Parts: sequence; structure tokens; C-alpha cells
Amino acid sequence: MSEYKKPLPVIQSYSKAFWEGTKAGKLLVQQCQDCNAYMSYPRQFCTECWSDNMGWKESSGQANVFSFSVTYEGVEPMFEDDLPIVLAWVDLPEGVRMNTSLIGCDPKDIEIGMEVEVVFKTVTNEITIPHFTPVKKV
Amino acid sequence: MSKGLAIVGIAEVPTKRDPQRTRWDILLDVCMGAVRDAGIDKNEINAVVSPNPMAQPEMQNDMALGKVPEVLGLKGCRDICITNAGGASSTNCLRLAQQLIDSGQANFVLIPHTTVQSDIPPADLINFFATAPLDKQWEYPFGVTFNGSMGLITNRYMYETGATKEQIAAVTVALRAWAAMDPMSIFYGKPIHLDDVLNSREVSSPLHAKECNLLADGGGALVVTSHEIAKKMGSGRHAYKLGHGTRFMSATPFVRDDLFHRESYRASSQDALKQAGMTIGNIDLRQIYGAYPYTQCSALEGYGSVRENEGAIAWAEGRCGPGGDLPCTTMGDATGRGHTGSGVSMAFYIDTVRQIRGEAGDRQIESCSNVILTTSGGSVMNTCTTVFGSEPR
Repeated sequence: MSEYKKPLPVIQSYSKAFWEGTKAGKLLVQQCQDCNAYMSYPRQFCTECWSDNMGWKESSGQANVFSFSVTYEGVEPMFEDDLPIVLAWVDLPEGVRMNTSLIGCDPKDIEIGMEVEVVFKTVTNEITIPHFTPVKKV
Repeated sequence: MSKGLAIVGIAEVPTKRDPQRTRWDILLDVCMGAVRDAGIDKNEINAVVSPNPMAQPEMQNDMALGKVPEVLGLKGCRDICITNAGGASSTNCLRLAQQLIDSGQANFVLIPHTTVQSDIPPADLINFFATAPLDKQWEYPFGVTFNGSMGLITNRYMYETGATKEQIAAVTVALRAWAAMDPMSIFYGKPIHLDDVLNSREVSSPLHAKECNLLADGGGALVVTSHEIAKKMGSGRHAYKLGHGTRFMSATPFVRDDLFHRESYRASSQDALKQAGMTIGNIDLRQIYGAYPYTQCSALEGYGSVRENEGAIAWAEGRCGPGGDLPCTTMGDATGRGHTGSGVSMAFYIDTVRQIRGEAGDRQIESCSNVILTTSGGSVMNTCTTVFGSEPR
């Protein structure tokens, strides 16, 4: 795993909990403890009320594909082994959207609206990345 | 105090990939060309405002730190500035120039753009355009590219509107038809057919290679002044800015509510048209900088030129290309012209002046008096919409 060549997420103090969550196999969604707004991506302050009292809720990790795009070329060399990459925006039950990529599927079978679920890919000792995969194996 | 903004001088170099033509070659060519085209003396220029040449750090320093007026010997220059709003940088230059003019600081402002991308290694260009607008935590680690982001939006646009891949491909065919008649385009004399688009490689589905941008070298310059001074300089040659509106959406596409920018196009165009005392029905030509085909469709919907979800149909029916009743983007957008970096929208302003002057050659729109023009920056973070007319209000 020390050979991981792709860019790692640049983690901030206020997003650390999210990445600790993925490491523990949990998908956490940030929630303002004052106004209850959910946020994706995580922020330092609530974008609704500017509270810094931010907490986390564990999501089921069940989601729907809002859109997807299959990248076949035009990536930096360290991504080339992954091609084709199925980029996707998925909607979580908390009402927030995440950017991710779909794995364990044939790009030809992906459709908008399809049900997907989170799968965690550990890439270094510190980092586990949340991908998604179709619920019904296609 | 002399107010308003009018474009009274233009110059441009052909867009191409030619590392032998340096950034300064282009810059000096377009600066001198625009000043001569305006018919003024170089020392009448009171300020130089430039789009930031992104990914070109040496040129960025030269432009930011005052080399342009020094090398050109602009003895009347009082102020310089560069702006960076990605593809909307030229719009910010015009807004800053107008502030200098409105406040009495300047009579004439020179706005030059130069970019050479052909001498930058392809991997560096991909890295630059992969990382500049992308979130380093939530997008970049997943392999998101500019084309990938726009592929995600395009796919959803097609899903919601019912636009077919043939209809979307028709946008690029029409843009290339304009470009084929434009000596300033990298694709001059090179029209393409629907099959050429649909049979080209898929880069980031549903976008094909021919629907993505070729990064190129180029540049252009504007000389701008007040309405009052422009009027004294004669008639029939100037583009008068009559109204402007801008809306911001988001830096990051996946958190954007107005994903196709339709509401943003609508609100910004309504602001601009209201100030100009016009409706969209008064507009003869729509110039849309979106760099990807769906923007040419959703902008039409936002402007109110066609019904919602029917933008792609208008392009597929040939209404927006040469000979159509709803001409759009006669400079071919970045897909038809070659993408010249953060100053890319300069070419849209220059072409607007050409059309208003009646100097657009084979691409000339009949009696082109009023033009609406929208630019955007970053991953379409905003829509900046301006109405230009052949006469001051």
C-alpha cells in the first residue's frame, strides 16, 4: 500500500472525522448541531447559520446515482491504470450529494437513478476512500 | 465625468499551436493592432488591464508587474492590473476598465490577452487544468478532470431534457461550421459532420473528443473608452455596453443547485436586458462562452430564446448555426476556436465588435445591431451577461 501513487485527499482539521470514519468503515455526513443542516462536502462553519458546532451522523451509505460520466482518457499518468473511471455524483438519504467513483461494475450497465452503496477502499495506512458500487450486481 | 463603456479598438492573432510564436510576439501584435484600430495615439492609453495568463508564471509576472506599458512606451499610463476569474477574466477586465473610465481615471484603457500553451508539456497542462478548479479533497483523488466534470453535467442535462447525443453533437457541428469560416480559428476551413463527432473517441461520456477543447495559443486586445468619447470618434464602428448582469453559482459543480446554469443565465440576462431597455426579442446575435455543448443549449433556454429543455432541439434544427434564424456564437466557442486559457472570452468580445461593425466576413449576421454575450469562469462558477449595441442608449 506504500506504493499508492494517486493524489491523496488533502485533509483539514474539520474534515478529519470524515476520514477517520471511512477508515473505520463508516460513511459520516456532517451535520450542524445548532440548525441541523446536513452538509456535503464538510466545512469549518455551517453554510446555513455559520455555527462552528459541527457534528457527524453515520449514513446508511445507500445512495442513488444523480449523474455519472465514464472517463476513458485525458487523466494524469497516475490514474491511467484505473481507466475507464466511472465518475459519479450520488445522492444520500440525508439529502446531500457526494462526488465519488463507481467500482465493481461494467460502465455500460450504469444508469442515472440506479441504487448504489458505499464500499471502502483502503489505499494507505491513513487513508480509506469511499467509492460506491451498484446494489444489484450487474 | 464621461461614463459608460464602448469598445473602439480590436485586434487579434489567429489561434493556433505554434511554440515559435512567443507570448510577447502575440502581446505586442495585438496591443499595437488594437491601438491603431482605434485610431488613437499610444500615449492616450491611461491604463492596461489584462486577464491573468494562467499556467504561464513568467508571463503572469510580466503582466502583473507592469512590463506591458513599459515595453510599449505607453507614456500616459496611470494604472495597471491583471484579473483572474478563469474564462470570465476578460469580463472582469471590462468591468474594471469601466470603473476607471466612470471615475475619471482613464479615457482609454487597453485590455490585452496572450496565451501560449503549445510549449507546456501535455502532462503539465492536464495537471494544471485537473487541479486548478478542482477540490483537492473531494474531487481530485477520484480522478475528476475538467472534461469529467462537464461530462457529469452533460449526462444529467441529457437525462432531464431528453436531448439526444445526435442533438448535442449538432451543437459542435454548428460551432465548427462558424469556425470553418473564421480565419482566426484553429479550425478555419475545417468543417465537420455529425458522424465525425459521434465517431470520435469518447473522452468523458457522453462527451466525445470533438466536443472537448483543444488547448491552443492565441490572443487579442480591446481598446475601450466612454460612450461620450466613442460618439465623438465617429459612428458605425463601436460596440456600446448597454447593460450587464452576473450571477454566481458555486465553485464546485456537485454542490450546485442550478446545475445547467439556466436560472443564472436567465437572471443575468434579464438584468442586462433591463438596463439596456430591451427584451431578448431585440437581440440579433447570442455569443455564449461555455466551452462545452450543453451550455450553448441551456443558455438559449435561460435567455428565453427557446422553451425550457428545447435548447438542443434548436441547434439540431440548424437554427443557431450559419443561415439559422437564431444565430449563436459566431466565433465557434472554445470548441470551434481552440481554447486560449483564462483570456478565452476576449475572442467573444472581439467578434461582437466585428459583427456590429459588419466586418465578420462570411459569418456576418444581417443587420447585427444588438448582441447578448455571456462568459463563465472556473467550472462554470458564474454567468456574466452583457448586452452590446451599435448605438449608445
